[in-house]
Amino acid sequence: MVVAFDAPIVYMLGLAFWDKTRGFTLEHYENLLETPVYLRVLGNTMRIALIATIANVAIGYPLAHWMRGLQNRARLIAIALVVLPFWVSILVRTYAWIVVLGNGGLVNRALLWSGLTDAPVSFLYNELGVTIGMANVLLPFLVLPLFAAMIRIDDRLLQAAASLGAPPRTIFWKVYFPLTVPALAAGTLLVFILCLGFYVTPAILGGGRVPMISNLLDTLINQIPRWEQASAISTILLIVTLLIFAAYRRLDRKASA
Amino acid sequence: MIGGSPWARRLLATVGVLALVFLMVPIVIVIPMSFSSARSLTFPPPGFSLRWYETFFGDAQWMEAMWTSAIVAAVSSVCALILGGLAAYGLRRGSFAGRDWAEGNFMAPLIVPTIIAAIALYLGLAKIGLLGSFAGLLIAHTILNVPLVMMVMGVAIREFDIRIEQVAWSLGASWSYTVRKVMLPNLAPSVFAAWIFAFIGSFDEVIVTSFIAGKYNTVPKKMFNELILEVNPTITAVATLLIGLTVLALAAVTVILARAGRLKQTLV
Repeated sequence: MVVAFDAPIVYMLGLAFWDKTRGFTLEHYENLLETPVYLRVLGNTMRIALIATIANVAIGYPLAHWMRGLQNRARLIAIALVVLPFWVSILVRTYAWIVVLGNGGLVNRALLWSGLTDAPVSFLYNELGVTIGMANVLLPFLVLPLFAAMIRIDDRLLQAAASLGAPPRTIFWKVYFPLTVPALAAGTLLVFILCLGFYVTPAILGGGRVPMISNLLDTLINQIPRWEQASAISTILLIVTLLIFAAYRRLDRKASA
Repeated sequence: MIGGSPWARRLLATVGVLALVFLMVPIVIVIPMSFSSARSLTFPPPGFSLRWYETFFGDAQWMEAMWTSAIVAAVSSVCALILGGLAAYGLRRGSFAGRDWAEGNFMAPLIVPTIIAAIALYLGLAKIGLLGSFAGLLIAHTILNVPLVMMVMGVAIREFDIRIEQVAWSLGASWSYTVRKVMLPNLAPSVFAAWIFAFIGSFDEVIVTSFIAGKYNTVPKKMFNELILEVNPTITAVATLLIGLTVLALAAVTVILARAGRLKQTLV
């Protein structure tokens, strides 16, 4: 039975790796290295992914830490507020940022009203908007596993440290933080992987002006049909993703052990 | 954390609340905007009106997209449920060489960046001549949703005591009788939850659909295509409807699983 139902999936994997068989020549890879546009998009993607990931950690870690300290009821509400956006379509959340960040949107209204700026700040159709959108969409992916790991830390461990005379700062950095590192690292890698392959948010919030790998692939498939080139880029992206994912799995096992 | 100065705690709480606000802002803003009477996207909305909902429900193209979405989601989620459920059962109960490999296989669509899945499916479907066909769309959505079903069903099957099945068999129940009368009633809440996840997964899918659907329009695909061209307040109404659907689905899952958990406790 298992074999019978495994067949379509194996077939799918065959399809997923189809592009590899096309890459029997290295010509497309050489082409990739020789074309500055591809390299620039690659660099762009890496930079945005890195910034969005760092922003995620900077926001996500305090949030998860704060949620750990909440009482039952407040904690449940906080969890619900993190889980709900996780399930709402990425498309919807990305679109919402157009509404929020647009020239007549909430943020610009507030800025104008407070007198911080005289003219609307343009958040949309540039890297800033894309980064904000991506950080927002991916935040639950970091917060949920991190929170799960923090919950597992035994309070008595922290009390023991305190009873031995350690000041709060030392307890945090020497006891608490090291215990959360595997989960933090795993979550960070996961967010980074997701950033690399992101398509919807850069396409909408970037307005075609912030090209990332996925949008380049879209162009190569749908507009100027150069399937071999797209396949070569896909293969590289896939290998990078799987490598990072392998590292993630190792860290994740460590985090849940 | 225990200890810590009040000042540090207050700072942490502020950051925490701000982070939650940051997470919820898109959802909270879109809903009132969809009832705006203004032609442009200004916040706060100058007046209340249902005009964008009227535009949406009065538009033949949107309605057609909604039907396509609903049919694709309904069919592909059931296919994914059957495939993923059987796979989860086989992987949990069976012990055979390459089990880990098979499991990785099934879960792959969740890990591989969607854009790569989209390209692979595009090339694959083009090869077998199903690119742009309805069947191709159904196949793609089914494959993408199998991992979701497996995650939910895997947990449920692991928690379901194998001895109950063994008792049924030893009492002479046939395989299909065991499935129908013993397993399904016990696993029903998880089956339902998995189905809802798969349905939502399909209903929200945009990237793969944009690549392979050809002339077929689903709601997210149409929304995405319109967004790239111009921002149109009708989309705010669509977004609100999608949020509503997600909230309903999540609420249903929570209630069902909570009730099942309580049921288990009362039985024990």
